Amino acid sequence: MKGAAGETAGGLGPVMWRPNHGYDDVSTKTLGFWLYMLSDAMMFTALFAAYAVLGHAMNAAGGPLPGTVAHPTHAFTETLWLFSSVLAYGGAMIALKKGNRVGVMAGIAVALLVALGFLGSDLHEVTRLFAAGATPERSGYLSAFFALVFYHGLHVIVGVAWMLVMLGQVAVFGLSEAVVYRLLNLRLFWHFQAVMWVFMFTFVYLRGAII
Amino acid sequence: MGIHVHLRVFAGRDYMTESNHSTFEHPEVQLAGTGYVAAYVAGIALMGLSLMLVKDHALDPTALGIAISGIAGLAALLQCVLLLHMTLSRTQIWQTVALVLFVPLFILTIGLTSWMFHGLYQRTMLRPIAASQAMAPAPLRAPR
Repeated sequence: MKGAAGETAGGLGPVMWRPNHGYDDVSTKTLGFWLYMLSDAMMFTALFAAYAVLGHAMNAAGGPLPGTVAHPTHAFTETLWLFSSVLAYGGAMIALKKGNRVGVMAGIAVALLVALGFLGSDLHEVTRLFAAGATPERSGYLSAFFALVFYHGLHVIVGVAWMLVMLGQVAVFGLSEAVVYRLLNLRLFWHFQAVMWVFMFTFVYLRGAII
Repeated sequence: MGIHVHLRVFAGRDYMTESNHSTFEHPEVQLAGTGYVAAYVAGIALMGLSLMLVKDHALDPTALGIAISGIAGLAALLQCVLLLHMTLSRTQIWQTVALVLFVPLFILTIGLTSWMFHGLYQRTMLRPIAASQAMAPAPLRAPR
């Protein structure tokens, strides 16, 4: 028998996955996924740091500055889209608590559709900026701006794809334990996007308007 | 064993041990509640307040930056508690600890990077004529 956690003990396999190790499967998986989300948040941190540096006028290279690129009012409509989608997914979680399979699917479907609204609004804004000549390669500032916008948008796309997959899994497998922990992980992922958006809205769009 | 675990789950004392009979009874599933609506209302209200302050130029730029930063911090805190259930309960304690330990990294990474480059700009990067002109925001080609 080996003493270290994670090694085999008595030929029963890794300690983490044996009964009585102190954590159930669902809690272990959600904690692991949460730690992954925090490492993802460090990616956001690095991009925010780059944006803070490249937002300086020196990096505009004669191109547009935050005041002409960031539109707080449009960003606020995006806030409404994203927060509404997060609320709808919360509704799915309340339905899950009650074991209401149809409610879970309805909540996810609404969250998905509203998230598509966010993506449409985001895409409209990016297209408008591109048409006006504000492209990522134009300056260091615009590179940092679009890196943040695209990185957050990528998360929303992943969230939408994940919701589609979960809709299928709930329909086919019902609310089994494997489906439930995936729904809980998706809750962590999706609700975390709302927290990241608070910083996006404040430090990219609002601060951009007052620089 | 199964009945034993079931009773412990309902007692709410040792619910992270073993697997539950019903997945819906898992503590992390049971965390869902009306806090989501409160988070939504508070999030919209606080972001709306920040928007209003910026649009009305209610404060000087420095004070405005501090005010909207504080509002963002409050909104993020509320969302962490109400949406992500970051509490000191036995179910969530390690998630909360991980987040609390992450926050200094978040602040230090952004703060130190900004500070270092602020000094760099002041000491080593003399502003050329082109960059001075860039201080005035260049208009976009097409009107909004």
